[in-house]
Amino acid sequence: MKSFYVAGCDVGSTTGKAVILNHEGIQGQAVCPSEIDPEDTARKVLAMAYEKINDINTPQDLSYLIGTGYGRREIPFANENISEISCHAMGAFKCLPKTRTIIDIGGQDVKAISIGETGEVLDFSMNDKCAAGTGRFFEMMAHIFRMTLTQFSELSLQAQSIISVTSQCSVFAETEVITLLAKRKSAADIAAGIQSSVAKRCFTLLKKTGIQPLVTITGGCSKNLGLIKALEKRLRQPIHQLSIDPQLMGAYGAAVLAMKNS
Amino acid sequence: MNFFNKIQDQAIYYQSYLKNYYHILQLPVRQGPLRTIQHLKKYPWLWQLAKVNCLLDVVTHGRSGNYRKATASVVEMIVPNLMELLDNLDADPDRLILHEDMVPPEILSAMGLKTWMSELLGILLPIVDPHSVEKYIDVAENAGIPPDICSLPKSTMGIMLNKEVPPIKAIVSSNSPCDGGMASYQLIKRHLDVPMFQIDVPYNFYNERATEYFANELKKMIFWLETNTAGKMDWDRLRAICEERNKMAEYELELWETIRRRPAPLAAEAVFLSHLWCFNVRPGDPDGTLLFKKLVELARDNINKDIAAVPNEKYRAVLWNPPLLHFIDFFSFAEQHYGLTIINDSMSYNRQPFIDTTSEDSMLKSLAHIIMTGPMARHTRGPAENYFNDMFYMYSYFDLDMILIAGHIGCKNTAALNGILREKCRNKGIPLLIIEYDLSDPRVVTQDAIIQQLDRFMENIMKERRN
Repeated sequence: MKSFYVAGCDVGSTTGKAVILNHEGIQGQAVCPSEIDPEDTARKVLAMAYEKINDINTPQDLSYLIGTGYGRREIPFANENISEISCHAMGAFKCLPKTRTIIDIGGQDVKAISIGETGEVLDFSMNDKCAAGTGRFFEMMAHIFRMTLTQFSELSLQAQSIISVTSQCSVFAETEVITLLAKRKSAADIAAGIQSSVAKRCFTLLKKTGIQPLVTITGGCSKNLGLIKALEKRLRQPIHQLSIDPQLMGAYGAAVLAMKNS
Repeated sequence: MNFFNKIQDQAIYYQSYLKNYYHILQLPVRQGPLRTIQHLKKYPWLWQLAKVNCLLDVVTHGRSGNYRKATASVVEMIVPNLMELLDNLDADPDRLILHEDMVPPEILSAMGLKTWMSELLGILLPIVDPHSVEKYIDVAENAGIPPDICSLPKSTMGIMLNKEVPPIKAIVSSNSPCDGGMASYQLIKRHLDVPMFQIDVPYNFYNERATEYFANELKKMIFWLETNTAGKMDWDRLRAICEERNKMAEYELELWETIRRRPAPLAAEAVFLSHLWCFNVRPGDPDGTLLFKKLVELARDNINKDIAAVPNEKYRAVLWNPPLLHFIDFFSFAEQHYGLTIINDSMSYNRQPFIDTTSEDSMLKSLAHIIMTGPMARHTRGPAENYFNDMFYMYSYFDLDMILIAGHIGCKNTAALNGILREKCRNKGIPLLIIEYDLSDPRVVTQDAIIQQLDRFMENIMKERRN
């Protein structure tokens, strides 16, 4: 009898993520940089995820596959596609059933999601028009400091005070930060200011959907500890960590839904 | 749908199509070739309005039977009326008045004045052609008008700045519905260099004193018009207009009663566009009364035969705020792709429709009351409760499943309420979609981006996939 595996594949703007599940739990997972063609990203990341599973050699060997993320409609071999909002909600809910509010910061958008007692989406709000506050924004900022994202995050945690970055626009924020660095202001304080400005934007988005505890964070930017610290300060409540890599949450939610729908 | 019904639907379309073109072609016949050419040169928007019959395609698309007949009838009413209004391009300039949409046209008609509603082109042009007012918006912005002002006054100002308005004797405006609209009349007055009377709509209108005050404002307006134009008040004519308007309102109340039924026998343009035109542009026109009578008959007939306007009606919604002018197909899109019947819009839903015609004073007081408590006036000014109470009343009265807000980014007054609204809807468990868009400028948010917002909402909140 053929083994039963389901998968979720999240084709994001910056990275592709895949999670493979069976009744025993996660059997494979992977993250890879996005290709130009979403289908290529999906094939690549799925191949990485099922690399160590002997029963799966092609995506067709999966019992059910759900695509999500911006490229979800371009995965021809997926059985179904579901929006990333619903998938992140389901993934976070499955990991932390008491969670009611999710902030998802991806490469090119930010979403606030309010969820109900069964993991259903009650409301959501998103910024997909402006780069400010997205993963791409942090990449730009880290580049100014000649650092990796991890180094930038760690730098912000060393701040003694916060230097406000007032520009909301990514381009003008870059100019403002360069000016501050040229004035020999503390790099750590500037970095903390950047984290704080993004936290403010997230807070505005969260206010739209309502902030009910527990609050959690998903998406690639959930690895930015400086941002989490700034968000906790702004929200005046802790951001709860998820048991599974939060970057995989969309793919994990898709896999959970695949398990239900298969 | 059987073959006979398809033929019948085609017949409805072509009958209307030909009727409408007959009326459109009558205009150049009445004006003569020379005047027509002069007008087309002076008023380039006429080229767009000549395409007004395309509205028929929009309102009949995907609709069948009585629903199709009803929406086509609304366009059949609008087209000849519009052509008659365009006759005012050649009206006696001593009698032609430019008026704001919040000024009761009943009084102006009763005074024997010809009217030109400033905002009409800004409303109609994007309905006919989504991109048609972009150039006027640019003209206004290039003249220094702040870009974040509502695109309706901006396009109206652009038309005025381009001098694409017939020669007028005077302007009558008001301090409603918003600061942008009110301020635009200062520019229009200065640019056209004609006298203007601005009626003062009281802010707090839930008392007799406010009604007295505003009725007095209307009296002052009448006196001012009699002094500054060739118009003379004919109270008998006003009574006749108001009585006819009351008849129309009676039918409209009946129509609203029918659409409470689930599934709705009629919806969308048959309900809101009919109101928008008949009550705001031509109140007191017997043809309007006949239209509403016909709409009620068609709705009743559908109820008797157990026919729904939208055969697969799954959800019911109201569109709050003005309809999306440059995406008027939104209603039929929602019907066809989601079984979502948008039964009405908030602008049409005026629950204080009748005019007491027993005396001159009572007529003015009733008109004052209608203006003060009209949806747009009461929603964009005064306490926020006006907005929320009406919305939640409609939600339960029409047994809705969700509320769609046309979140026009130029409307600061209503944008300010969105946060509280989200909170209230959350507490009541009402699914809410605030569609970010601009009323008349599709460059701000495209039709595709509007559809994307609806798709996301329907998929994530209502768990419904697009057909």
